[in-house]
Amino acid sequence: MTPLHWIGDLIRQAVIAVPMGAVRALFVALLLGLLVWVLRLPKERTRPPLEDGSGYDEKSLSGNLKLWAALALGLMALIYLIV
Amino acid sequence: MEVGLSGIDYAVLVIYLAGTLALGVAIGWKFKTGKDFFLAGRSLPWWAIGMSLVASDIGGTDIIGVGGAAHKFGLSVANFEWIGCVPAMIVAAFVFVPLFWRMGVYTIPEYLERRFNVGARVSLATCWVIFMACNLGIMLFASAKMLNVLLGWDPTLCIFMSALLVGVYTMAGGLKAVVYTDVIQCVVMIGGCLLVLGIGLYDAGGIAGLREQLAAKPEHMELLLPADTEAPFPWTGILFGLALILSPAYWIGNQAIVQRSLGAKSEFHAQAAYVWGALLKIIIPFIIVVPGLIAVAKFPGLEDSDQAFPMLASTLLPVGLRGLFLAAFVAALMSSVDSYLNAAATIVTSDFYKRLIRRDASEAQMLRVGRIVTAALLVWAVGFAFYIASLKEGSGVYAIFQTLMSFFQGPALAVILAGFFWKRANGTGALVGFISGVICAVGLFAIDRWHEAFGWQPLFKIGEPFLYFSVWAFVVAVVGIAVGSCFGTPPKSQADLLAQAAQDRLNEKQQQEGGAAA
Repeated sequence: MTPLHWIGDLIRQAVIAVPMGAVRALFVALLLGLLVWVLRLPKERTRPPLEDGSGYDEKSLSGNLKLWAALALGLMALIYLIV
Repeated sequence: MEVGLSGIDYAVLVIYLAGTLALGVAIGWKFKTGKDFFLAGRSLPWWAIGMSLVASDIGGTDIIGVGGAAHKFGLSVANFEWIGCVPAMIVAAFVFVPLFWRMGVYTIPEYLERRFNVGARVSLATCWVIFMACNLGIMLFASAKMLNVLLGWDPTLCIFMSALLVGVYTMAGGLKAVVYTDVIQCVVMIGGCLLVLGIGLYDAGGIAGLREQLAAKPEHMELLLPADTEAPFPWTGILFGLALILSPAYWIGNQAIVQRSLGAKSEFHAQAAYVWGALLKIIIPFIIVVPGLIAVAKFPGLEDSDQAFPMLASTLLPVGLRGLFLAAFVAALMSSVDSYLNAAATIVTSDFYKRLIRRDASEAQMLRVGRIVTAALLVWAVGFAFYIASLKEGSGVYAIFQTLMSFFQGPALAVILAGFFWKRANGTGALVGFISGVICAVGLFAIDRWHEAFGWQPLFKIGEPFLYFSVWAFVVAVVGIAVGSCFGTPPKSQADLLAQAAQDRLNEKQQQEGGAAA
């Protein structure tokens, strides 16, 4: 046994003790946390610039990356919640 | 077991291959500059890049291997496509990709030189190019072996044919050909696998019927496995190794992946491509993993799990559609090989030839060298594929190289993250962190692999603990960067780098306008 084995066993015992319900909650929380971060992003980072450079296209729904990224993360959270 | 093919099946395959080849060559014949070849002249739209990201990520061996792993271990293998891809792709889309695109770099190592120093660039470029060059040979060998098992084709012929097909269009059309042929390959791959899924589910009595048949194996329906599972995907490895380290390292730091977003026509297109890719990624487990589960119900006594997907295709698909499945397999193979070939050629040409040998190389010279390097890499890959084939344990090499990749992925991610988020991280820190992280991973691997020689217990309790190597290598690299950054010169700020990139773009535009006026 080396110190690495001792540390490994300690960590192993700790993670084995975590109930699978809590593990599932951790995965879903991670995805939801990311979802909240995406929803709070400013429009300059999620929308295409206008051709004349005067601002950002705020009308186009399909050009709103925030929406599509939120859809992807929402679906993921749902999958990890129910599967 | 071989998949029986008819003349119609072969015709479908030939039409697909001829179409791909023609498209790739047609794209590349009027290229004039290195930028056209390596970054597609920065003209790629989001939808093509997104589909290319997905196609490149899934190789021919992955379709068979992931289906097989699902047959053996169940649904948990889907984590590699879901939590192991989607979150990292979304973060990359909004944080990393925009900055890489704005800087106008050709490669990730080039970013590292701008942020740190030439040592960081050369270290990472060397690791990547060695890995990619060897991986090209491994992919050719593994796919040829699989085609031999599935169809009885001669492996030597398969290696030569795959290399020739991919080589011709990658050499002619560079990144643009790679991306647009990937679009076709993505459609064929998803279509072929959807067929197997649809017919397989119908045959199994729908989702309810499948659930009923798998009732005796409840662990096969679990997405998250406990930390002490015997399967190689415990939740700890999936969360800490895959989701937090290997996946971001892959989607942010792998040149073969990131390069196509650097060729996007705008920063927004580069971002949108990653989001589109993430959405596509969500459906992949349904079309690759679920067929593996259907095979559990349909062939309960199957011993070789890698036969699960081919057996399903062989027994369920009618004549003609089997050819489409085979085309899907070949598409997956080609889309990965072409991406690694183009990325490796870009690193050699940009990070070694232009940076270290000929700094004043013109765009035309870059194009010429890029094509020569692509050809040379292909010759190397074919030679390496034959070398692996000559080894007794040739098939084990694939797993070993996946482990080798995990040695430097974690440290590379640590260096990139430090470059983005820690102002004080400098070149000395990057080099110290990267090297110490790689040494840590190699050390853990050695202790775990040869533990019996020392009379020790294995360090990790699962069969292939590469997910854990990457976690500890990352942690050690972070410490190394923090310590090393206390020494050496202060770094350039991110704002300075962006200002420099904007100035470079302006100079380039003025030069082009001057040339046009003259």
